[in-house]
Amino acid sequence: MTSIAVALDLLREAAARRWFLALGLALTGLLMLLLTSLRLEVVDGALAASRLFGQPLYHSIQAADVALRPVFLVASQIVFWGGLCFGVLSCADFAPALLSPGRIEHLLSLPVRRWELLAGTFLGVLALAVAGAVYASAGLVLVLGAKTGVWTGWPVVSAVLAAVAFGTVYAGMLAVTVWVRSAALSAAAGASLIVLGLLATHRVPILDLMGAGLGRALFAGVTAVVPPLGKLADAAGALASSSPLAPGGLLRLLAGTVAFAGALLAAATWRFERRDF
Amino acid sequence: MPAAFAVTSLHKRFRTRFGRTESVALDGVDLEVPRGEAFGLIGPNGAGKTTFIKCLLGISHPDSGRVELLGGRPEDPRSRARVGYLPERLALPGAWTPRAFLASVTRLKKLRPERSTLDGLLQRVGLSDAAERRIRGLSKGMRQRLGLAAALVGAPELLVLDEPTDGVDPLGRVEIRQLLTAELSRGATLFINSHLLSETERICTRIGILSRGRLVRSGPLEALTAVQQRWRVRFADGQPAAALVALGFEPAEGGTWEIAAPDAPALNHALDGARAAGALLVELERASRDLEDVLTEALAAGAA
Repeated sequence: MTSIAVALDLLREAAARRWFLALGLALTGLLMLLLTSLRLEVVDGALAASRLFGQPLYHSIQAADVALRPVFLVASQIVFWGGLCFGVLSCADFAPALLSPGRIEHLLSLPVRRWELLAGTFLGVLALAVAGAVYASAGLVLVLGAKTGVWTGWPVVSAVLAAVAFGTVYAGMLAVTVWVRSAALSAAAGASLIVLGLLATHRVPILDLMGAGLGRALFAGVTAVVPPLGKLADAAGALASSSPLAPGGLLRLLAGTVAFAGALLAAATWRFERRDF
Repeated sequence: MPAAFAVTSLHKRFRTRFGRTESVALDGVDLEVPRGEAFGLIGPNGAGKTTFIKCLLGISHPDSGRVELLGGRPEDPRSRARVGYLPERLALPGAWTPRAFLASVTRLKKLRPERSTLDGLLQRVGLSDAAERRIRGLSKGMRQRLGLAAALVGAPELLVLDEPTDGVDPLGRVEIRQLLTAELSRGATLFINSHLLSETERICTRIGILSRGRLVRSGPLEALTAVQQRWRVRFADGQPAAALVALGFEPAEGGTWEIAAPDAPALNHALDGARAAGALLVELERASRDLEDVLTEALAAGAA
């Protein structure tokens, strides 16, 4: 319960920040723009005509659900990668602010366990990520659903997957901050994890290109534990566009991602419990 | 009387990243503060006062020694739930209002944030008019008052205040002193760390002096400031100065005289002599020093 109180405090703090206000306004504006400017004509379940700002988009007649697949695929990739980058930049300061001198002493003097503070911060950021991703994807589903009559929940599930990916990245950012209190370093850790996640996605072809040696061994070791974010993004795209997924592949991917985040959080908690302020 | 907290042989060293000892912050501190007392910890900068408070509340981990906080361990949230703490430089969320901040502290103390209670706290510290203002717009003194209000959430049994009047104007200091006196009357224990000796002297009944991580003096304020075997005497105007000097009286501040007397017969013998020489006794009291003198002497003794 205390962790939830800490998480709610973080959400209150986020609500007062310009970053999140700007994101909310931008997403709402974009959805309103689509709602008012996109015209879709559906005849017998087929998308007969589509116009954005009065300009025709498609000339071929397609089943509405098929026509929307690439739209949801692109939207899921924007939510996934855009969300990761936005999250790294906008959330980098939360943990350093929590650990700032004069604030952490006060928090630790309250009847709150250290791990509850850390868990609350993580949960708060995760809730922010889920809320942002779900708001964007659910808004898109509602707008397109209202215009075409095609209703699907998969883009929202895909957005939750993007939030899980960001949760992993944020676990790394939190762990770094517990060692060194710096928003810049926290953001750098997040960006590094995204890059490593991309490299881990293509580790086999990259390893093939590398000669034997310490660098190759290091690369192989690091990319073996870092979740392949590209594969997670592909899975999110496949979910959003109702494309088939390899059986069990997503579950394995998710299990590895969650285990990686768990390990980072465990390391952060271990350090936080021992640290003096 | 049970202790509000007891600290035994507390050691704390700060180390560099490579494990080398950088400085000794606390070097075997023993201290016990009874419940209901107002205890003031004084000492020069870098003496280890804030580190002591942090070890007391579990914010820092001592290298060795034992800390008992309200009968429990400082790591136990149940002990800390009964403590109110005002850190030296409290950082507050600038975008929040004072009421929202107090509500958050109340929730983290696992209490229900009733609006009337929160407003009552703001009123006690003189922030009623600022309840809905953004904290970032408050002055340093107002932030300090808000920190004090946060320390008072839940009527704690022990109030640990690190420089409570820092940044507060003289009138505000009087108000805070009255508020702390009221807390003492309620039965709370006060532990104050302040570099303002006059403030400490006015509020606290017991004093501890920390120097280079060691508690060099500790005890009731009266006992620490009293000068053993010395008395201050005031005679009526026209006293025979030469005769008084011959009897062992020494001129002191404000037209008074001081005399060293190891016991009551010696004191009365000197006074009888003065009266016999024509001096008329008006006032007699044990000579005392202010806290600054005590601190200076303790630090000098510690340095020797």
